Amino acid sequence: MATIILLSFLFQIILVIALAPLVTGIIRKTKARFQHRRGATVLQPYYDLVKLMRKDVVVSSVASWLFHCTPFVVFSSMVVISLLVPTVVTPVPLHWVGDIIAVIYLFALGRFFMALVGLDTASAFGGLGSSREMSIASIVEPAMMLAIFTAAVTAGSTDLSVIVDRLSTTPASMLNPSHLLAFAGLFVVSLAETGRIPVDNPATHLELTMIHEAMILEYSGPYLALIEWASQVKLVIFLALMANMFFPLGMATTWSPSALAVGAGAFLLKVIGLALIVALVESTNAKLRLFRVPELLVVAFILSLLSLILYFIVGA
Amino acid sequence: MTTKQEYMALLEKSLGDRLTIREAPAPNELYLSLHEGALALVPETCSLLTRSLKAHFTTLAANDERMLNGRFSLYYIFSVPPADLFLILQVPVDPRHMEVPSISHIIEGANWFEREVKDCFGIIAFPNIYKLASHPDWPEDMHVMLKDVDPGQSVPRVKGRFDFKEVEGEGVFEIPVGPVHAGIIEPGHFRFSVAGEPIISLALQLFYTHKGTEKIAEGRSPRHAVFLAESISGDSSFGHAIAFCHAIERLSGFDPPPRAIVIRTMLLELERLCNHISDIGAILMDVGFSVGAATAFELKEQFLALNEILTGSRLLRGVAAIGGVRRDPENGPSRHEALRKTLEHGKRSFEDLVSLIMTSSSVMDRLETTGVLSPLDAYRLGITGIAGRASGIDRDYRRDHPHCAYPESHVHVATRTEGDVLARVRIRIDEIRDAFALVEDLQGRHAGQPILAQVTPVPPGRSALGYVEGWRGEIIHWVMTDKTGNIFRWKITDPSFHNWRALTLAVRNNIVPDFPVINKSFNLSYSGNDR
Repeated sequence: MATIILLSFLFQIILVIALAPLVTGIIRKTKARFQHRRGATVLQPYYDLVKLMRKDVVVSSVASWLFHCTPFVVFSSMVVISLLVPTVVTPVPLHWVGDIIAVIYLFALGRFFMALVGLDTASAFGGLGSSREMSIASIVEPAMMLAIFTAAVTAGSTDLSVIVDRLSTTPASMLNPSHLLAFAGLFVVSLAETGRIPVDNPATHLELTMIHEAMILEYSGPYLALIEWASQVKLVIFLALMANMFFPLGMATTWSPSALAVGAGAFLLKVIGLALIVALVESTNAKLRLFRVPELLVVAFILSLLSLILYFIVGA
Repeated sequence: MTTKQEYMALLEKSLGDRLTIREAPAPNELYLSLHEGALALVPETCSLLTRSLKAHFTTLAANDERMLNGRFSLYYIFSVPPADLFLILQVPVDPRHMEVPSISHIIEGANWFEREVKDCFGIIAFPNIYKLASHPDWPEDMHVMLKDVDPGQSVPRVKGRFDFKEVEGEGVFEIPVGPVHAGIIEPGHFRFSVAGEPIISLALQLFYTHKGTEKIAEGRSPRHAVFLAESISGDSSFGHAIAFCHAIERLSGFDPPPRAIVIRTMLLELERLCNHISDIGAILMDVGFSVGAATAFELKEQFLALNEILTGSRLLRGVAAIGGVRRDPENGPSRHEALRKTLEHGKRSFEDLVSLIMTSSSVMDRLETTGVLSPLDAYRLGITGIAGRASGIDRDYRRDHPHCAYPESHVHVATRTEGDVLARVRIRIDEIRDAFALVEDLQGRHAGQPILAQVTPVPPGRSALGYVEGWRGEIIHWVMTDKTGNIFRWKITDPSFHNWRALTLAVRNNIVPDFPVINKSFNLSYSGNDR
C-alpha cells in the first residue's frame, strides 16, 4: 500500500509539475502561429528554466527575508495543490488532507506572499502590481468559489475525488445546463487567476501595464525560475480542474497500467485542448482596460450564480 | 486670399513704428526687425501677429551674432497659412542685458522654446526661467550653444535636483519611470503622480539624447550637414534631410529639377506609410492585441524592404542631396515592378488590418475615449501634425505651405475632433490611404529626367527656412550661413518639441496602465526633441 501511495505521488508530481512548461510552450507556439510567426520550440520554457537555474540571484539591498522565502512558498504551495487536484486517477494522492476549499486557500497563500514581496523591495512597479493583484483577487475568489461550489452541490461533496466519481457514474449530467454554465464561469476565472489576456498580458514588456509580472520584476536567476515554474504549474492546475471537475471522461479509478495509460492520454488531450482554447482567446482579444476587469469577473460570478439557481430549479 | 504685398502694407501700417520690414532670399519669408529699445513690445507684437494676422507661432531660434554685430538675436518664426507666408520677428538682445519679456502667457506653445533658449544661450525670457534642455546636474552658467563653447568639451557636473510640480496629499504616490525603459525605445524620464490608478500629473525630463547636432554643424559645409540631418531622428531621416536641403536651396535661390521633386514627394509619402503602419502595430501591441500587431509589423517590413530595393536604404538614408536626390527609385524595370506589387499588395492587406481593428470590440474599447487631448488644449499649446489634426487643428504644411510636388497633387487633410487614441489611429488610417494614392499618382512622372541640379556655391551671410510635412508633423529648419557659405546657425524644430507637452495633458485622469498606449499614439521622437 505504501508503495502505491508513493507511486501515485510521484506519478501526479511528474505529470503536473514536469509537464507544466510544455503546456506553456504549446500556448506560446500556438499564439506565434496565429501571428504568422514560426515561434520558439514548445520546449523553450524548459530551456528558459534551465538557463535561469544556472544564473546568480541579484538581490536588492533593501530586500527582507520575504524575498528569499517567497519563491519556495509559492512553488511548494503549487506542488501541494497539484497533489490535491484530480488528473489521471482518483482518489487523488492527498485526498485525506483536504478538499477543494484547501485548494482555494493554498492559492491564496501563494498570492499573499507574492503581493508582499511586490512591496518588499520598495520598487514603484512592485507596489502597483501588488495593489492590482489584490483588488482583482478580491473579485476572483468569490466567483471561483461559486463556480466550484456548484459542482460540489451537484456531487454533494467538496472532496474533489468524490465530485469526479459522482460525475463519472452519471455521464449524462456533464451536459446539463447548470454544469456547463459553471464551467464557463470557471474558465473566465481561470484566465484571470493565471494572468492571461484579457486580464493580464504575460508577454508584455510594459511595466506600467503589468499585474503578475510587476510583482516579480525584481526576481532573477533560480528564484525567478521557481516563480515562473510555479505559474506554469498553476495554469496546468486550472486546466486540470476545468477538465476533470466538469468532464472526468477517461479518468482511471484503479492502478492497473491500462487504465492509467487511458487516464494519462485523456488528461493530456483535455489539457492541451483547453490550452489551445486559451491561446485562441488570447489571440482574438485585446487586453481589457484595468477597470473593466471587474466587469468581466462579474460575468463569471453571474454565470456561476445562474448555474447554481438552475441546479435548484431544474435539478441535477 | 491675401497676398504678400497686402500683408506687407498691413504690417507697415500696424507695426511700422517699432519694426522694419525686410524681404528675404526666399519669396515667402518676411523679416520683421524690431528696433532697438522696443524690447518691451515683443509680447504685444506677438499677440498682434497671432490674434489679428492669423499667424501661428512655429519656432524660436536664438543666434549668437556677437562676432557679426556685437549682440544676440532671437528669431520668432510665425506661419501664415492663408498667404503661404512666414513672418520672422527678429529681436536684438544686448549681451550686457540678456533678458527679454516672455511671450508664453500669450502663446503657450512658446514656453519650451523660451526655456531651451535660456538653457542653451543664457537669454532669459522673463519670468519663464525653469530648466528644460540642460540637465538638473548641469551648472547654471553652462550655455552650450554660445560660440565660445567648444563642442568637444564635457559638461562639469554639479549637485542638482529634478524640479517638477510635486503633488501632495493622502494616497498620492510618485512613480518614477525611466530614463532607461524596457523594450527598444529611446531614453526619457517620466514622473507620474498618482492617486491609486488615475494619473494626477506627469512631469517629463528629456534631453538624454542631446547630441549637439546644431552645434557641431556650425562651421561645416551644408553638404556635410545633410548627413547630420539624417540622424536627427531615425524615423524621419528623409523628412529632416529634405527639410534641410530645402532650406539651403531656398537660401541659394534655386530649385531642384522636377523629377527630383517628384522622387522626394514619393519617398516622403513612403516614410509616412511605414511609420503610420508601424505606429498602428505598436498601439495594437500595447493593448495586447498581438495578432493585429503582427499583421501591421509584417506590412511595415514589406515597405522597409521596398525602401531598400528602391533606394538601397531601409530608412531612406543617403538619398537626399542639396539640389535634388542621389538615386532614382524607379530606375530599372525590377524596381518599378517591386513598387507596383508592394503597393497593390500593401493596400489590400492594409484594408484587411483596418477591418480587423474596427470589428474588434475589445480593441475599440481600449482606444476610444483614452488619452483625450481637447481641441482647446491642442490649440493653446500649438500642437502640430497628426496629434493636432486628431484634436481639430486643421493644419498641414502640404496644403498650407505647399512644397515638393504637393501643389500639383490633391492632398486631403484628415481632421477629427475627438482627440482620443482612436482619433489618432483614424487620422493615420486616412493618411495611409492618402499616401497610397499619392505614391501611385506620382509613379513614373517626369521619368528619365535629371535628378540632381548643378549645385552652385552656397551664398554667404544669408538665412532661410526649410520645411517639410513629415509623418509626425511639420519639420522646420532655419539655416544661416557664415561668410564662407558654411553653416553659421542651424535651428532644427522637430514636431515632437511642440507635442511632448500634449502628452502630459492627454494622460491626466487616465489610469496608469493606459499610459503606454497613449504615449504610443503620439509616438514622439526623443532624439528629434533633444537633437
